Amino acid sequence: MEGIAFHDASVTIEAPSGPGTTILQPTSLTLDGQRTAVIGANGSGKSTLLRLINGLLLPSSGSVTVQGLDTSRQGRDIRNRVGFVFTDPISQLVMPTPLEDVELSLRKRHSSPSERRAAAMEVLGTYGLSHLADNSVYELSGGERQLVALTSVLAVDPDILVLDEPNTLLDLRNTQLLQRTLAGLRQQLVMATHDLQLAATFERVLVVHDGAVILDGGPEEAIGFYRALCSDDDRWAEPAGNQS
Amino acid sequence: MPAHPHLLGNYVPGSTPVHRAPLWSKAVLLLAIGILTILLQGPLERTVLLCVAVAVHLLARLPVKRLWMSVRLMWFFLIVIIAYQTWVNGWQDAWALVAGILACIFAANILTSTTEIQVLLDGVVKASRPFERFGAHPEKFALTIAIMLRSIPFIVGAFDDVRNAAMARGLERNPRARVLPVVITTVAYARQTGQALAARGLGDDQSPDAP
Repeated sequence: MEGIAFHDASVTIEAPSGPGTTILQPTSLTLDGQRTAVIGANGSGKSTLLRLINGLLLPSSGSVTVQGLDTSRQGRDIRNRVGFVFTDPISQLVMPTPLEDVELSLRKRHSSPSERRAAAMEVLGTYGLSHLADNSVYELSGGERQLVALTSVLAVDPDILVLDEPNTLLDLRNTQLLQRTLAGLRQQLVMATHDLQLAATFERVLVVHDGAVILDGGPEEAIGFYRALCSDDDRWAEPAGNQS
Repeated sequence: MPAHPHLLGNYVPGSTPVHRAPLWSKAVLLLAIGILTILLQGPLERTVLLCVAVAVHLLARLPVKRLWMSVRLMWFFLIVIIAYQTWVNGWQDAWALVAGILACIFAANILTSTTEIQVLLDGVVKASRPFERFGAHPEKFALTIAIMLRSIPFIVGAFDDVRNAAMARGLERNPRARVLPVVITTVAYARQTGQALAARGLGDDQSPDAP
């Protein structure tokens, strides 16, 4: 069965008057590898591309399918198979403690409170977070929060994991911790990131620029291309006033 | 947004009789104080209700400062109410009104502070099961309660943050600088929360098969 497929999918934001703004050009590609990174400048369309995968955003034209299911018609089924991790974990954690947040994820699977608690503790233990179970999520470090958010998503064992710049708010130590956790996962990963070192560890890298996937290749080729793109782009040129 | 761990509605672990009491008994206490506040309108009766709520709070060994923290967002309005009622109806009516409000808030605070949130959610689901035949979604009720409990402290925190930011810019007396950012932050927070819930498939259970 195919993994994730974009069929001429585009996203346009309607304007009250005028033609609207296209934030993702018609895109056709298939993501069936184990680990795909998406790189590009802020506002280039990375998050838009990712949000199409689990139906958080629907294409204005074309379609997106995940394991053969259409995001426009089978969003609920897709969200059971695709986990999504946001940049800021605090916006993702609904409950006051890690244990309760994982329990919330497991409510569909376990109706018995005691079974649910045991299952949640087991999940936290799997990712080495048992010692944080009863802490307030507000008192955790950024890295711990992100790992808890990731664990809450992994608790329901999705087939695909989409991560939208998960290490942007993390320091180096926590980035490495997150990286080690991601490396051990069985799930297909699609991750947007500004961390080119992290992207280099992925099998495949997409470069997104001005709402279009302009390169789809191996990490070395894609990262080299992206670096060159940033160097050539006038928008990153040094302001005239700063030039010596 | 910085952390705001001093949360109204945050469970305070404990093994007091109030903590161990079944959820229904705490819900009855809350309901009783609410109904009695409506029925008994004299200042003395309302003071007794307030004392009962404070006594149960202390019996649960909840920190005394939680009493203040549960009303700190509305202190300004309470003062306005006291001032207006004192002017119109005299201090006794003003006190009766405020005591009734405080008794209800403290009773709600006891319920949420001494009950684990999952127990609370399970209770809400159980209580709303009979309404399923009318199209109610018990899990969504529970989720709504959870989101509400999570959101109140966040909004309180937003007020704190915006006040600090306004002070840093010398705009502490500018109502627009104090209120507008809170509104914008709150709307953004609501959007993020909605997206996070959708991404986790929470609330999808009984919805039509649509995104």
